[in-house]
Amino acid sequence: MAAELKKAIYPENATIGLPTQHRFDPYTLNGGTIVGVAGDNFAILAGDTRLSEGFMIHSRDTSKIYKLTEKTFLGTCGFQGDVLTLTRLLNARLTMYEFEHRKKMSSTAISQMLSTVLYYRRFFPYYTFNILAGIDTDGKGCIYSYDAVGNYEKHTYHASGTASSMLQPLLDNQVGYLNQEGVRRVPLTIDKARTLIKDVFISATERDMYTGDSLHIVTITSDGVTEDHFPLRRD
Amino acid sequence: MADGGQFSAAPFWQNGPSPGQFYNTPGTNLASSQLPRTYTQQPIVTGTSVLGVTFTGGVVIAADTLGSYGSLARFRDISRLLKVNEKVAIGASGDYADFQFIRDIINQKVLDGKCLNDNYCYSPVAIHTWLTRILYNRRTKINPLWNNIIVGGYDENEGSYLGYVDKLGVAYQAPTIATGYGSYIAQPLLRQSYESNNNNFTEEQALSAIERCMRVLLYRDGRSGNQYEVAIITKDGCQVTSPKPISTNWDIAEYVKYV
Amino acid sequence: MTGKNCVAIAADRRFGIQAQTIGHEFQRIYGMSDHLYIGFSGLATDVTTVSNKLKFRLNMYMLRENREMKPETFMSLVSSLLYEKRFGPYFVEPVIAGLDKNAKPFVGSLDLIGCPMITEDFVVSGTASEQLYGMCESLWEPDLEADDLFESISQALLNAVDRDCVSGWGGIVYVIEKDKVTEKILKARMD
Repeated sequence: MAAELKKAIYPENATIGLPTQHRFDPYTLNGGTIVGVAGDNFAILAGDTRLSEGFMIHSRDTSKIYKLTEKTFLGTCGFQGDVLTLTRLLNARLTMYEFEHRKKMSSTAISQMLSTVLYYRRFFPYYTFNILAGIDTDGKGCIYSYDAVGNYEKHTYHASGTASSMLQPLLDNQVGYLNQEGVRRVPLTIDKARTLIKDVFISATERDMYTGDSLHIVTITSDGVTEDHFPLRRD
Repeated sequence: MADGGQFSAAPFWQNGPSPGQFYNTPGTNLASSQLPRTYTQQPIVTGTSVLGVTFTGGVVIAADTLGSYGSLARFRDISRLLKVNEKVAIGASGDYADFQFIRDIINQKVLDGKCLNDNYCYSPVAIHTWLTRILYNRRTKINPLWNNIIVGGYDENEGSYLGYVDKLGVAYQAPTIATGYGSYIAQPLLRQSYESNNNNFTEEQALSAIERCMRVLLYRDGRSGNQYEVAIITKDGCQVTSPKPISTNWDIAEYVKYV
Repeated sequence: MTGKNCVAIAADRRFGIQAQTIGHEFQRIYGMSDHLYIGFSGLATDVTTVSNKLKFRLNMYMLRENREMKPETFMSLVSSLLYEKRFGPYFVEPVIAGLDKNAKPFVGSLDLIGCPMITEDFVVSGTASEQLYGMCESLWEPDLEADDLFESISQALLNAVDRDCVSGWGGIVYVIEKDKVTEKILKARMD
């Protein structure tokens, strides 16, 4: 009887006297999507401005595009805590570089630095997915995309974030002319790229909960930078 | 008698360790020394929602005064708001001990600042950014401060400021913010009245929106208390009001029948 | 995908065991009757089983009633067949495309336990469904003519499966019109 009672109170597998192990999860996914497109003399970086967590929208106007230098911008999504920390760290490194070398860091140099910074945290990663956009030393637009631990590649176009799998095939088709035969491959213009980016985001917003509210588009040319906002679905 | 009969002395050091071994003090051989080190992995005494709303020329933040111990309403009159200085106030939901810890540090920092006598005081952004760093660093050590904090402030140059930061270091600014259960119940109400008001509140409108939300929360949030404090920050300074009871109406209760 | 008095259904042709591709002529789309097609993503053995069972039940219906089955009715048939195995389901996610007797297009899809969904525009299913949503959402427009519909669905399929490691290895498209059905095999990258 006593044994039965004991079994009822302390089920067999329960460890008595040991604390229950709740693992604290240091990450959360705050959603969002970014797209970068590079042309001959420009680079465009766009991202939605929704900040969400689970089924909750925290903010409808938190941009994912961060200015690093006059001609280099970083688009970043994933875990917002890491995003804030990473961008602060990068800004500190850029300032230090400027003081040491008496010049701004080039887009290509930043691209390598970002990879190093991300890999430094290989075993406790910054849970961020980045696209770096800038103008390289030849005055041409360039886009670099990264995974969370610093693997990176130069692209002419790329999508990252929660709706990346919806956007990327469309960019392949419309910017990369993949699976199209007998089509004249006209060089991408700023206007066409911008229209296309708006279109792909409108599509993504239809199907991805974590993308929406508003689109922040940054266009970088060697002459300067322009920023646009474009409304998206808010549901 | 060499045979160890009842008249012989017990063997010397009978319960002791073998030669060369350590003595095993009772109670120290428990699993505790072999367990992984544990940190705050759940909140203990908790506060529920904090609300914050911006208005033209200032900010209000509000929180009820209940400290819950699980489902027990353990402390009924504790303050979850902190006046940092004349420009900034913060409100915290989540673990109350962690809030007290943060409060002590901020109070000390503000005191240190006063000793410099340079008329400088922390701006809302400074406090918000600082808190974000503190909370983020603690989550990185897998030893989080279990709070959602709202920072409200008004600066002559920067205007109204309302920020949020959670135990992971997620931080943002918004015109209306609610934490905890309030993010489900109060935030939509606040957003609705704010947006239908042309994204512009007066102080009175903000306060009445807050009062309405606190009442809805009292009705619907099982961990809420029946009085709340408000911190109002304007160009004239920051003041935390004394707890104000929430009026309720239970007239329809008798018509609710559970069958 | 629906068009103007026409409808199209397309699929890739890969047959694989997880990452290993073991065939690239797999037929996952079945013509059930003249204007009624069904495609399956999922476990190949269940694709065969379910398609045979459906064909059987459809034939029985047509013999008994001596008339064609409406696409909506066929969808109910698929739904109930799948729900019979509610707690040990067939691992398939069917997509149905057909024309009714007035040449009105019909597309619908079901999950593996038979929850039906009918849409006006397009339905997708399988490992590349997210990619397909992205493509279709941008390429589809109302009242596409048969040729344009073919172009849209083909581009949607090809570009979507190219961004999915376990899809591809060729594609097949059926464009169903009132008086003809066009079957086309798409050449695609084989990696």
